[in-house]
Amino acid sequence: AAGSSGGPGAPCRHHAQLGACESRAKYREGWRPRAVKVYTINLESRYLLIQGVPALGVMKELVEQFALYGAIEEYHALDEYPAEQFTEVYLIKFKKLQCARVAKKKMDERSFFGSLLHVCYAPEFETVQETREKLQDRRKYIAKATNQRDCFVLKKVEGPKKTASRNSEHDCPWSTSGSHVASNWDPACFTSSSGVSHNTAYPSGNQNQSLLTPPHYDNNCAEIAGYFGQNTSLTPSVHPEGHIPPASLMQQRMVPYNGIDRFMPRTTHLQERKRKREESNKFSLIGTSEDNTEVVIGPQLPEIPKVDMDDESLNTSATLIRNKLKEVADSVSTSVEKPESSSAKPLVKQRRRI
Amino acid sequence: MELGRLEYLQALVTEFQVTDSTEAKEQVLANLANFAYDPSNYEYLRQLQVLDLFLDMLTEDNETLVEFAMGGLCNLCLDKTNKEYILEASGVEPIINCLSSSNEETVVSAVTTLMFLTTPRSRAQTTALPVVECMLRFSLSANTRLSNLASIFLQDYCSPPQVEEARNLSKHTAVGIPLPKD
Repeated sequence: AAGSSGGPGAPCRHHAQLGACESRAKYREGWRPRAVKVYTINLESRYLLIQGVPALGVMKELVEQFALYGAIEEYHALDEYPAEQFTEVYLIKFKKLQCARVAKKKMDERSFFGSLLHVCYAPEFETVQETREKLQDRRKYIAKATNQRDCFVLKKVEGPKKTASRNSEHDCPWSTSGSHVASNWDPACFTSSSGVSHNTAYPSGNQNQSLLTPPHYDNNCAEIAGYFGQNTSLTPSVHPEGHIPPASLMQQRMVPYNGIDRFMPRTTHLQERKRKREESNKFSLIGTSEDNTEVVIGPQLPEIPKVDMDDESLNTSATLIRNKLKEVADSVSTSVEKPESSSAKPLVKQRRRI
Repeated sequence: MELGRLEYLQALVTEFQVTDSTEAKEQVLANLANFAYDPSNYEYLRQLQVLDLFLDMLTEDNETLVEFAMGGLCNLCLDKTNKEYILEASGVEPIINCLSSSNEETVVSAVTTLMFLTTPRSRAQTTALPVVECMLRFSLSANTRLSNLASIFLQDYCSPPQVEEARNLSKHTAVGIPLPKD
């Protein structure tokens, strides 16, 4: 048999706990000793395998502990999995990958009822559809984080109008189905702060980000994914290139698309709104822009005077201080008084000699 | 030692180039590959030519280096700029070759990367007959991770005629890309 022996439930190489690396150069030593391992989307999973759970009948407590990191869909003991004496192995399936990620990070190597837990991902438990969704979520995430919109399939899904209404609540970076979504498109969806506007604002490590994929996205993608994935009998008339990968479809569709006038890239929309806001602010306070003669309404803000940087008057204070200092330094005086520095009037203070 | 992100990545790359220690190379490469998971690093990684580094490592004898490099590519290839760069640099071929690796992680990363790199222009290469034929065999593997990915490849990135052709081909020949040994 190829690859790891057996399917889910059998020990896999990627479950093995690697020893921590001892020989790291100082500058790249992290906070905790870590093994040398590369995490890809294939390794990560909503499924977590937990080894080292003491066999004390603590499943409930275990699940409660993990549930702190997010909603759990399923959990059960894995009786067939080889376990050290007096310990058990559990499988916990999170609703979201991000939660599994955080849970793993926090719970791995944690002491639990006196025993050290070893937590790892268990992608081999995924169904094909779950793996597909995982990859698609990753696609979406990258597209969003890098402001690229060519991520998704755009077959004309005749389907569920409900996707349109759900989309309007949240940031919707792409038009997911045909004219249905476009006609229900609510520009307000672009102002949702749950979106990511720029990759520089994005936290590194992309951990713990629950804003990534609001629940309806998963469903949405599932529908599309399912549609795309299951429709293996595409005729050329529906789509000339058959199973075109998502990236290209988006690009091709953009131009002839019906609802295109409603579709604006999110950043453009944000800029538009900012511009409109600034414009309206300008009008409400000042009442007129510089290049037209509209009626002034409301109080006018004092105009910020334009400063001529070469004007001598700018140096008044400095010159005053300098002069005063010279005066004080020159004069023979037992008492030293700090010159009045901020005054614009050259005040000579008379000292009362006692 | 406090270092800015770019400086840190630069230090990693430099260490990689300078060190004689295989162990250090592996650690650094793993580090870079993990950084490649986060889009906020992509500009830096491109600047430091880490994409080329990953591609170069695919032909190394050291299996671990290949595994980590392949993982790194898998992590960053969805970004449009990175994708185009990899395609321009003729990266598809060495990635296809990784399908023959006996290292499970390498193969799995390669399958995913090929999916992610598939565009109208590149799909002739990424879904070439030998590749589809390989995916067919992978889809029958007892290794669920591999079979899942291969199934998705066949269902979502290949046309039915392509799959049919590959199916016919494998009926007649025994030659093909071997499954990983793990």
